Amino acid sequence: MKREVVVTGVGIVSAAGISPEETWNSLKEGKSGLTPFSLLSSPKYTGVPAGQVSADLAALSGLEQSCRPDQLAVIAARQALKESFPNADSRVMEKAGVILGACVGGMSQSEFFLQQLLLEGVTDTDLLRFHECACAAEAVAEDLGLFGPCETISTACSSGSNAIFLAADMIASGESDMMLAGGIDSFSRLTLNGFGSLLLIDPQGCRPFDEQRKGISLGEGAAVLVLESAETARRRNAPILATLSGWANTCDAHHATAPAPDGDGIARAIHSALGQSGLSPKDIHYINAHGTATIENDRAESSAINLVFGDGMPPVSSTKRVFGHTFAAAGAIEAVVCVLALKNRAIPANAGLDQLDPSCPVRIQRNFENSDISNVMSLSLGFGGNNNCLIMTRGEA
Amino acid sequence: MEDLIKEIKQRLVDNLQLDRSPQEIDTDAPLFDEGLGLDSLDVLELVVMLDRDYGIEIVNMDEGKKAFVSVRGIAEYITAKKAS
Repeated sequence: MKREVVVTGVGIVSAAGISPEETWNSLKEGKSGLTPFSLLSSPKYTGVPAGQVSADLAALSGLEQSCRPDQLAVIAARQALKESFPNADSRVMEKAGVILGACVGGMSQSEFFLQQLLLEGVTDTDLLRFHECACAAEAVAEDLGLFGPCETISTACSSGSNAIFLAADMIASGESDMMLAGGIDSFSRLTLNGFGSLLLIDPQGCRPFDEQRKGISLGEGAAVLVLESAETARRRNAPILATLSGWANTCDAHHATAPAPDGDGIARAIHSALGQSGLSPKDIHYINAHGTATIENDRAESSAINLVFGDGMPPVSSTKRVFGHTFAAAGAIEAVVCVLALKNRAIPANAGLDQLDPSCPVRIQRNFENSDISNVMSLSLGFGGNNNCLIMTRGEA
Repeated sequence: MEDLIKEIKQRLVDNLQLDRSPQEIDTDAPLFDEGLGLDSLDVLELVVMLDRDYGIEIVNMDEGKKAFVSVRGIAEYITAKKAS
């Protein structure tokens, strides 16, 4: 029999705030975290709206010799564990594991290594320590003393959700009692120029589901959730913020980057997660969409939501304008948004929207609204048509 | 202009590994969908090609839409950019 999986702590650091409280305030005020891009000395993209964290991450993490993704991950993981364990209990924590989603790891350091090598003939191999995208999960395990499984998932923009998916499976099956799961990503020249060359960066900042949308805004950040079996959480009187009631992952098997336009793969993920949760479409009170603001994503996602929910569709919003698209962190950040929405009983707005695109007929949530929501859904869709659906139910905390 | 068009066709075949000869490419056919059949991922190759081979940077979709209409469209875009 599968065990119930609950969320007992969350941590988040992004352009919208460096704690869950700051993040929720940004969502409540409808404040976008996008500011003119200034990192990586990239003349081509300097000034383009992006979700960069302005806080001094080295000082905040105390990890002066580390790279941005590791610092982000450690800060978010510490917050999550602190909420779950106001009084640290090393006996439980030692058995816990960590699974993070990461797309590029410390690649910006490797890029800097290459730049120095080619332009100045300098070989600073220390910079290459962070090249593996697995480095952030290892940094978290080391920082917090987690001796359980330590893994990294890289499935592009659904990585963070797939990390939660895998961790939930491990807890439900009894393989583990507690996992820290989430995602991180920071900027690299690869993602910047890659998305730039795909002409997928909106110079005005992303506008999910808007008929004038022209693509994404890049972002960086990290979010980590403490997932735990309900049994152990109750035994130690941990705060149960939410129950993870459904999780699913499907693939379009269609194209290297574009989603299948009919949204069938996404719809299968939604059906699968609903089936697992025992809920029906009418029980879902809010959908946090992937909503990257590319033409293709928003259309395919709208098709899928319509396929499953039809006329009974709950409010839908994308929060990408608030955070930017944080790639591997996105699914985890939005999972935390869902936990905060359940806890605070409110639905975040689809920031950045002027005119809804008629080819994306979703029930868009234009403004922040208090609402007695019990079950919420988060969709995360990666390149290659990698679709993840998570369903969360309000907890007891 | 005709030489440039010929050159662009050759580069498209080479860079995008098209399964046809440069002569078979219609100068005025749309690059995407039912025309030449290119897709969103091929845009990346086109942007890199213009930057690397012609020194022209395209940074957003609005510019891309002007440039990537057809082979003739690319040639005219390059000519206009070089002149300005």
